[in-house]
Amino acid sequence: MLRYITYRSLVAVFLVWIVVTLVFLLLHLVPGDPAEVLLSQGSTAADPQAVANLRQRLGLDDPLWLQYAHHIGGILTGDLGTSFRDGAPVAGQIVQRLPRTLEVIVTAALIAVLFGVPAGTLAAVRAGGWIDNVISFLSSLALSTPVFVVGSVVILIFAQELRLVPAGGYVPFAVDPARHVLLLLMPAGTVALALWAVVARMSRGSVLDVLERDYVRTARAKGLKRRRILRRHVVRNAMIPVLTVLGLEMGTLIGGTVLVEFVFNWPGLSGYLVSAVDARDYPEVVGIVMVISILFVFLNLVVDIVYAVLDPRISLSR
Amino acid sequence: MRKLILPVSILAVILALVVLAPVLPLADERAMDIPHRFAGPSMAHWLGQDEFGRDVLTRLIYGARASLSIAIGSALAAALIGTALGLLGGYFRGIVEIFTVRAAEIVLCLPPLLLALLVVTIFGAGFWPLILALTLLYTPNYARVVYAATLQVRALDFVTAQRALGTHPLQIVVRTMLPNVLPPLVVQISLVIASAIVIESGLSFLGLGVVPPTPSWGLMIRAARGAMEQAPLLLLWPSVALAGTILTFNLLCDRLQSVLDPRAVPAGGAIWLRRRRTAPPAPRTAPDEDARNDAPADLLSIAGLTIALDRPGGIGSGMELVRGVGFAVRTGETLALVGESGSGKTLTSLAVTGLLPDVLGVTGGTATYRRRDGAVVDLLAQDEDGHRRLRGDEISMVFQDASAALNPVHRIGDQLTEVILAHRAIGRAAAKREAVELLGRVGIPDAERRARAYPHELSGGQRQRAMIAIAVANQPKLLLADEPTTALDPTIQAQILALIAGLKRDNPEMGVVFVTHNLAVVAEIADRVCVMYAGEVVEEGPVATVFARPRHPYTAALIGSVPEGDAERLVAIPGTVPAPGHMPPGCSFAPRCDHAVAACREAPPPEFSPEPGRRTRCLRFEEVT
Repeated sequence: MLRYITYRSLVAVFLVWIVVTLVFLLLHLVPGDPAEVLLSQGSTAADPQAVANLRQRLGLDDPLWLQYAHHIGGILTGDLGTSFRDGAPVAGQIVQRLPRTLEVIVTAALIAVLFGVPAGTLAAVRAGGWIDNVISFLSSLALSTPVFVVGSVVILIFAQELRLVPAGGYVPFAVDPARHVLLLLMPAGTVALALWAVVARMSRGSVLDVLERDYVRTARAKGLKRRRILRRHVVRNAMIPVLTVLGLEMGTLIGGTVLVEFVFNWPGLSGYLVSAVDARDYPEVVGIVMVISILFVFLNLVVDIVYAVLDPRISLSR
Repeated sequence: MRKLILPVSILAVILALVVLAPVLPLADERAMDIPHRFAGPSMAHWLGQDEFGRDVLTRLIYGARASLSIAIGSALAAALIGTALGLLGGYFRGIVEIFTVRAAEIVLCLPPLLLALLVVTIFGAGFWPLILALTLLYTPNYARVVYAATLQVRALDFVTAQRALGTHPLQIVVRTMLPNVLPPLVVQISLVIASAIVIESGLSFLGLGVVPPTPSWGLMIRAARGAMEQAPLLLLWPSVALAGTILTFNLLCDRLQSVLDPRAVPAGGAIWLRRRRTAPPAPRTAPDEDARNDAPADLLSIAGLTIALDRPGGIGSGMELVRGVGFAVRTGETLALVGESGSGKTLTSLAVTGLLPDVLGVTGGTATYRRRDGAVVDLLAQDEDGHRRLRGDEISMVFQDASAALNPVHRIGDQLTEVILAHRAIGRAAAKREAVELLGRVGIPDAERRARAYPHELSGGQRQRAMIAIAVANQPKLLLADEPTTALDPTIQAQILALIAGLKRDNPEMGVVFVTHNLAVVAEIADRVCVMYAGEVVEEGPVATVFARPRHPYTAALIGSVPEGDAERLVAIPGTVPAPGHMPPGCSFAPRCDHAVAACREAPPPEFSPEPGRRTRCLRFEEVT
């Protein structure tokens, strides 16, 4: 087990290095002068003086290897540079906003599992029946409706028409716990809808697959009660691939809550990213992308390890 | 193919609207009409007017133009590049693979939306940056799918043959491989288009995609959010259009998948899990009271058992796989059920415990069983709950493949404890102690430690020992062992047989039904033997007398085909077992039988009793040996 974790961690570190290098190269792969590209707006040519200033700020006049060394060194020391816009350190902003984004994702994942696993299991047990058809239709619908549409419609119905909830915003937990949770539940619930569909579909397929296995027949041959077979021998085994997919989906969400944070005015990392992209503030964008990518890689690592714990066969095969 | 009609026709309508938009009698998509901003639906503007008084319907259709051209354009571009990378990487492997497929996969290290935002940061918002971002994003998906498909095709004989013939690799790739990887590619394209529409509209919604005043669904939703109070319907139209289009593409993808890969159609769940029985038990002949009294010593007595395919409306429904099987097992006796694969011996034992697969059903017969408390029940008439109370307690099973029959994610000890606790009211700790004891009893060394092991950590022989421990945990009255030694090495086989014999000595009351195709095993372990052929019992009797003088040509042929030290030559049985549904009108063995006469082929032979305690289904049993 320890060997497996070490091996997977080394792979993760390698992937992080690739991502960091890729992001570094992305700016340099752009044909032409990157500073000029960043400063140009449509067809308007950039002011040569501004280009020269930017080249200096980005260190573009240094040799490429030195720039790369600075880039890597900055990441290792937690220095992600300063914003073009206000000169504030990028790392500070990230530290403040990241937990809010993670809060949304984790809450969404919990909601998705809470409703998705029973729905998928029920659909599998009643495969071909009307419950199965209803769940299958609902999950298709949930998967096909982009989050910003769901979010906008939620606001339209619950905030605008029914006036049950505010249209979004953020209140720190310490200030007003109840309001914090209420405001959290809207973006989290919106994200959870699509995630629910993924979990329900995966659970259905996985449970159907496990039901065909010999060990389920053994469990029946033991004379165990239905509920126990379902819980310990079917759902327990079926959850392994489901949780893996959920973990990977959560990774995608770290960068994918952009839309929902925008819709509900939630001051997380993604909202910061959007305004940074909008202002084409290169250090901010690179800093955020880097942090999210590193998280993404390490989340995948955690998923792999949890997978190995859940399925004792895995660690041996490596 | 009929499944594709719905999504394809919806898409055809959408595409026609998009392509024909310039020639349709639509309003100008950019013509503003400020006095009528937020006007509701009217004859001139079917869906009303937006915040600048522009016609919503027109903008909806032109919005589809933007979304679809970006999504389809980038999906095709990515398909082209990804397919090339995947084909090259999959065909040449090695260093080429690293520079194609693996290189493309680096993109997957970045969350998708982030990559798109990164591209937009560098190039600014607009049509072409979006195409570039989405192409970059989806290329690795194609590369992976095509790569996997290529690897499969590459190993096929006709590709190997072409390589051996010296055909130019590129020609093989383009002419042979490409057509073969097309099906997964088509599915992937429809999936990517749907996903690209989501990302495109999302970026446009954020104001980072399509640049106004070009209409786009994302932008329309963005604008409508600001005007929610005045005109909530403005939010509805683009939302419905967007979700509907994505839904259609997803539907197309699902349907394509099921058309191109019919094997992927999922199984029908599990009937036993549903509370209500889906079908009432088929009417059967009631257990004969007299017959029961005649054989008071019988533990299990099966009569007229018939098993058929039971899928209403399915192919071959009603086809009988086991016909009129009957035999009896006395307390403390070992009965061997022998036959080739497909003879119905396993199905018979599964029917007794109610574990038949869902597609099969018992259509006739009885299986009277004398319970510990003396009551006599018909096992074939039990519902799932009735079976459950007996299974693992009075009647238990050992399966052929222990590595599949044990749950890989639970410890051996827990899987053993579970069966004890299911039937006896003892504490968890006591059950655990007993489990360890049992493991020791079935010959697993260091049982204390082994109880904490997972199935994959045990050897094949030890797994089967654990399986047997589970079966005998509650001192069953009847043990059904379904080819318990077939998957094991010969030396291990002998140990397992010795183990079962030993367990029988410990529990002399236990009746055993031993299903096998191995006659050597029968001679070693069984008291009586029951030979099955093509779903019927053809001969039954004490092992010694049956082996000494078989009364059915099939039994004789089976005995003749066993390799023995002093045998002069092995006799193979000519021909094959008739398929269910293609049974000959007479004796089912007649087509392969040396002794067959005209009468054999006319009607199924009745049962004869050549001597007390023996049965055979052969007209010519006198002459067989």
